[in-house]
Amino acid sequence: MFNYLANPTRFLRLQKAVQPWLIAATVLVLGYGLYLGLFVAPPDYQQGETVRIMFIHVPASILAMGIYVFMAIAHAVGFIFRHPLADAAAKAAAPVGAVFTFISLATGSLWGKPMWGTWWVWDARLTSMFVLFLLYLGYIAVWQAVEEPHRASRIAGIVALVGVINVPIIKFSVEWWNTLHQPSSLLRKGGPAIDPTILTPLLWCIAGFALLAAVLVLHALRAEVLARRVRQMELAQVGRAG
Amino acid sequence: MTRKQQRLILILSAMAFLSLAVGLILYALRDTIVFFYTPTEMAEKNVQPGTRLRLGGLVEKGSFRQGENGIIHFAVTDTNKSVKVTYKGVLPDLFREGQGVVAEGVLQPDGTFKADTVLAKHDEKYMPREVADSLKKQGLWKHAKDYGEYGADGAKAGKELTQ
Amino acid sequence: MLSPFLSVIGRDVKLAFRAGGGIGTAFGFFLTVVVLLPIGIGPDQALLQRIAPGALWIALLMSVLLSADRIYTADYEDGSLEVMAIGPAPLEVVALAKALAHWLTAGLPLAIAAPLLGFLLNLRADLVPGLLLSMITGSLALSMLAALGAAVTVGLRKGGLLISLLILPLYIPLMIFGVTASTGGQAGPDISTSSYLILAAVVLLSVVVSPVASAAALRAHMR
Repeated sequence: MFNYLANPTRFLRLQKAVQPWLIAATVLVLGYGLYLGLFVAPPDYQQGETVRIMFIHVPASILAMGIYVFMAIAHAVGFIFRHPLADAAAKAAAPVGAVFTFISLATGSLWGKPMWGTWWVWDARLTSMFVLFLLYLGYIAVWQAVEEPHRASRIAGIVALVGVINVPIIKFSVEWWNTLHQPSSLLRKGGPAIDPTILTPLLWCIAGFALLAAVLVLHALRAEVLARRVRQMELAQVGRAG
Repeated sequence: MTRKQQRLILILSAMAFLSLAVGLILYALRDTIVFFYTPTEMAEKNVQPGTRLRLGGLVEKGSFRQGENGIIHFAVTDTNKSVKVTYKGVLPDLFREGQGVVAEGVLQPDGTFKADTVLAKHDEKYMPREVADSLKKQGLWKHAKDYGEYGADGAKAGKELTQ
Repeated sequence: MLSPFLSVIGRDVKLAFRAGGGIGTAFGFFLTVVVLLPIGIGPDQALLQRIAPGALWIALLMSVLLSADRIYTADYEDGSLEVMAIGPAPLEVVALAKALAHWLTAGLPLAIAAPLLGFLLNLRADLVPGLLLSMITGSLALSMLAALGAAVTVGLRKGGLLISLLILPLYIPLMIFGVTASTGGQAGPDISTSSYLILAAVVLLSVVVSPVASAAALRAHMR
């Protein structure tokens, strides 16, 4: 599969075949998840209806971190195996990850105001998540600032790989330091601390948003592959003319 | 020195630096930068009056009192020590007796803490009210470590109180 | 390996002290930031005293960052970087030497001067030793990361703004641990050992990561 995709033409063909099914799956899973989360799930014993922000906040946060890790791995693969689509995949994923980071920060802020009593505090979790957003912006800026694509890819890879140190810091910030943000509810010792009636909708939402991210990234990757092809054709044309 | 030896020296020294860094972090993490101090930590650090800090803990049961001129009195405890807090302003929705809070303010010479901001802290558990009640009834209520002896009924009492 | 390392440091330090080296500019910038702050805040000596350590840290990291540009630009433009790249020492060692030279000529002098200039901000005298110690330590990482930013953006037309966007987020942990190490955080004036240790750990990390990543970036720019 991995080597098979090394050929951009094959990728384009495969992406075209898979995309409609992926979109259908996204609509179904995300729709069902949001329906469960917003209408079926019971209000929390402490937080009442406000807890429903979780069904967007948690998937967005997981994807914000997950997509950054994906980008770092893609660049590592690009450096080591010279896989031609790896850096393009990372480039395609960056804006999606940045938007999920923004959604996570924004919904967290909306959740913080009624529950904690503040829009924002600079505790370790919120600060490190904010840094992740800045890293995304820097990464995107590198692709825009460096004109020659091959050079841009290497420089962007360095930025992605240096910045990935931040992801474990985000994940464990709530355990290493005492923060206003509560510890992890899902990945923790002794299993999730969420009642099944709330956990099930949350898992559906996570799956739904993950599918949405996949659809968006694959679409952007297709555009990137086509853009590179156009660039190559233009270069060839210039070469012929000169 | 050959190129290969050079690389080896570089890699070894990089590894030494990295492991030293990890060692320092692990050593330092035992007691490090905090968002808030607990009442016990405040006593240990011997905080001087007039210092601005954040104080975190649980609202002590039975300590909430509405004073004159809209001044609110309560005590923050970590089940070991407790600090009296005065505050004037709006409390967050989740503020209840037995709940976690973080108060920002200044330690007064008389040992009380004058807060100008009060934030509520909640734990990582989510469940419907009926589940919380039935867990309580069956005696299966497990407290998060922050919450000590307080649990759902502290929360409920607090809710009635603040309404 | 050692002699090219030392000669790069020697050369860069010498260049920095000659006319147009930029040390004076960095100092001037630092002073300007420190002077602007009390004017912006207005007459409140108590407030000024409380924010003085943080303000000095911000002035320090801005000055270090803004002087980073010169680390590679000239060598990249006149081709000496290519010579160093094919020279006897690995490019990583050259990158380490250049970053250290920047620390010796920008980070370290500013870190020593900053707490002493603290009187402009009504800094509490008992904070000076802690601030001096944490700034001298932390400025090494500031220079290392600034050099990384300079390597990543060398030869780019829009490099100046990009370097700030890329490196300032990495300065956040240094800022947090640097300030709490120098002021003991919220609790009092004693130096917080654990924050200082984490600051030292971040410095060690940057000493390893910066040369490796800088060399990779420089190779990408020169191919």
